[in-house]
Amino acid sequence: MQKYISEQNLNTLLDLLIKEGKRVVAPRMNAGTPLYEPLGSSSEMITDQLPRRSGKEAFFPLCEDIMSYTKEGQKVELKDIDPARFPETVLVGVRPCDAAAIPVLDAVFSWDYKDEFFLERRKKTTIVGLACTKADDACFCTAVGLSPSDTKGSDLFLTPLEGGGYACETFSDKGETLVNNHAALFSEPSGAKKAALAEPGTEAVDLKKVKAWLDEHFEDPAWDSIATRCVGCGACAFVCPACHCFDIVDEGTEKSGKRRKNWDACGFWKFTHHASGHNPRDQQPKRYRNRIMHKFKYYDDKFGQTLCTGCGRCIRLCPVGIDIAAIVEEISKK
Amino acid sequence: MTQTIDTSIYAAVTEAIQSEAQRILAAGEVTAVVGYAAARRKGSAQPIVITAAADAQKLIFTPACVNNLAVYLTKAKKEIPKSGRIGIVVKGCDLKALVGLMGESQLKREQLYLIGVPCAGVLASTIQPDTGLTADSIAPKCRECDARLPQGCDFVPAGQPVTPELEKKYASEIARLEALTPQERWAYWKEQFSKCIKCYACRQVCPFCFCEQCLCDRNKPQMVDTTPRPAGNTAWHIVRAMHLAGRCAGCAECERVCPMDIPLNLLNRKMAKELKELYAYEAGFQVNDNGPLNSYTEKDDQSFIK
Amino acid sequence: MHSEKPKHDFEPKIIAFVCTWCTYAGADLAGTSRMQYPANVRVLKFPCTGRIDPVFILKAFQQGADGVLVSGCHPGDCHYIAGNFHARRRFAAFRKLLEFVGVDLERLQFSWVSAAEGGKWVEVVTDLTEKVRNMGPMTEFKELALEEQWSGAINTEELKEAFNQI
Repeated sequence: MQKYISEQNLNTLLDLLIKEGKRVVAPRMNAGTPLYEPLGSSSEMITDQLPRRSGKEAFFPLCEDIMSYTKEGQKVELKDIDPARFPETVLVGVRPCDAAAIPVLDAVFSWDYKDEFFLERRKKTTIVGLACTKADDACFCTAVGLSPSDTKGSDLFLTPLEGGGYACETFSDKGETLVNNHAALFSEPSGAKKAALAEPGTEAVDLKKVKAWLDEHFEDPAWDSIATRCVGCGACAFVCPACHCFDIVDEGTEKSGKRRKNWDACGFWKFTHHASGHNPRDQQPKRYRNRIMHKFKYYDDKFGQTLCTGCGRCIRLCPVGIDIAAIVEEISKK
Repeated sequence: MTQTIDTSIYAAVTEAIQSEAQRILAAGEVTAVVGYAAARRKGSAQPIVITAAADAQKLIFTPACVNNLAVYLTKAKKEIPKSGRIGIVVKGCDLKALVGLMGESQLKREQLYLIGVPCAGVLASTIQPDTGLTADSIAPKCRECDARLPQGCDFVPAGQPVTPELEKKYASEIARLEALTPQERWAYWKEQFSKCIKCYACRQVCPFCFCEQCLCDRNKPQMVDTTPRPAGNTAWHIVRAMHLAGRCAGCAECERVCPMDIPLNLLNRKMAKELKELYAYEAGFQVNDNGPLNSYTEKDDQSFIK
Repeated sequence: MHSEKPKHDFEPKIIAFVCTWCTYAGADLAGTSRMQYPANVRVLKFPCTGRIDPVFILKAFQQGADGVLVSGCHPGDCHYIAGNFHARRRFAAFRKLLEFVGVDLERLQFSWVSAAEGGKWVEVVTDLTEKVRNMGPMTEFKELALEEQWSGAINTEELKEAFNQI
């Protein structure tokens, strides 16, 4: 379904959704940092900046309670978190690189174990994508087979038009329902020209060739030269739209507490650290190798997809300038 | 118009670094040199470790050479060869960290070959690396730099960096916060700390966070909650600032790398200011065996103790 | 005979970190001398004030303390020669940090109480308890424990319950 919506009507739509009790999550400024966060009003939404963290946290939060316990004397009571409590959500203004990662994550969260936390939120969330009009030289969606107008993962996709407003296109029942429920705010396509979209400077990389090299080079001196400089923080994984490792910790006292699920990062020295004290990934290059292997080989082996959407966040934010786009390009030329 | 900052000496500095690195590697004076090299993005730089004299021409110095390379010489970085003397490119601020590490017996002066950089300033975090250096794009730490020419290095390229007087942002921000009520300060830090995602980038880039196992990574006992929630975040940042008090010399790497823009160096500068007032101690100028918090005098102030 | 205890709306929780040689013995002396002091104080014994890590103070506030007391030997009396001198500097710095992040320093008291000063112990504990009682509960850290990043927020009822349990 093709429609048109003006900027004003989009704001009205968001305010209506908030009034209906839906959680509307969109890019907004939090103490000077752009983040995807629930809006109190449509006026908080910003559309000109890529949020610092990705949209995955609408489904897979940074930290969530998965169970709680209380203990009194000999009596222990465990309480599950009821996923029915997750609110109906509309995720708006999602960049194509963020939206495209969500279906990729579906594969792992609904594989042998069905992760109800992820899947329930997924079921209750409508994703409204927004085409990108700005790119910098860290952006590389075009290198991994996506583009600033890619609609993968979006239920409804907005493309800015010259002279204002957005062209809307629906890609799922959820998207159509959203439009149909608020049909008065949408009108027929205006025929206006689409605004100039972003043009990331990167050329498409042959990901098959990258995988072929990775298949053969688990041990290779290249890993040292790539990742000796890695200082072992979790910034790259935490801002990544596709990284999904998590760690489970119990926090509380002997009387009561919570079991919590937190993001984990393969850069941390504690990642895969065994209780025995042994760590198969005992050095930084081995940990960084895992990052590349997981994204471009293991996930492909298992689910036939690539775990990178080229958002460029890890490149912009790496404390020591590790550039995954340069690394992948280099590998593809080996 | 924004005031531009003269970085014309950086070209000559780059050349001098290259030839000196080439010389010391070829002569076998060092086994490796830690420096900066250009990266893919226009104008960007990243740390590099070179061991062959032929690689010396990869070394550069530009306003994008933001890292404090001292972190690569600490216990935290086991991957860098420790097989002999190491050459390292240092700005004045980085040198202060090395001086601190020597005082804490983490490094020996004779193990290092210091290539000092006359520095007019580097770029602030999240600035596109090909941006020119101006009063707007310069890192906040460079606004109050007192070490543009590193002292006591083995080699310093010729060149006198000139930087105009700029407003001292940390000093004015600390003064602003100090003037608030405790409730207002709490609200300010609560907002900032709630953004923290516990990626520990601040810890990992800090030359002084060289503990084999961080207190905050231990779970027996778990002194600080590991989950990235406001309670644990606040505790983490207080503990971090306390552990760096009297040691941090202000390279501001923690603040530069924070993906959530938390003004971490404010805490460090505040502590540095307090320790200067209390014990007339400033970190980073000379090698001291004892910092202000592992020494004492019998006459120390105790007006706060009953 | 115990004197009639006055009733208060709010009984603060005071955590006292004390050294075993001086202040703990001083508190003991107060007890054996049958001196009265507020039962609000929970005493934790350490070998020396030099062993008291600032993180303990943080943890106490996080776990619901309304006030914290740190007390040990007078300068020069440390049984480990200089533990309290080091502690003095450490806490001088730490209180500046806490003040900067917005903790009201009125809730944090340091003192030197020797084994012979049962009376001073009573005075210090009573003063701090009354001061904190007038200030009301320390809510900052308790409230923090309830706050979540937006994406984690799923249940306010449970959180309320947790709050009351702290």
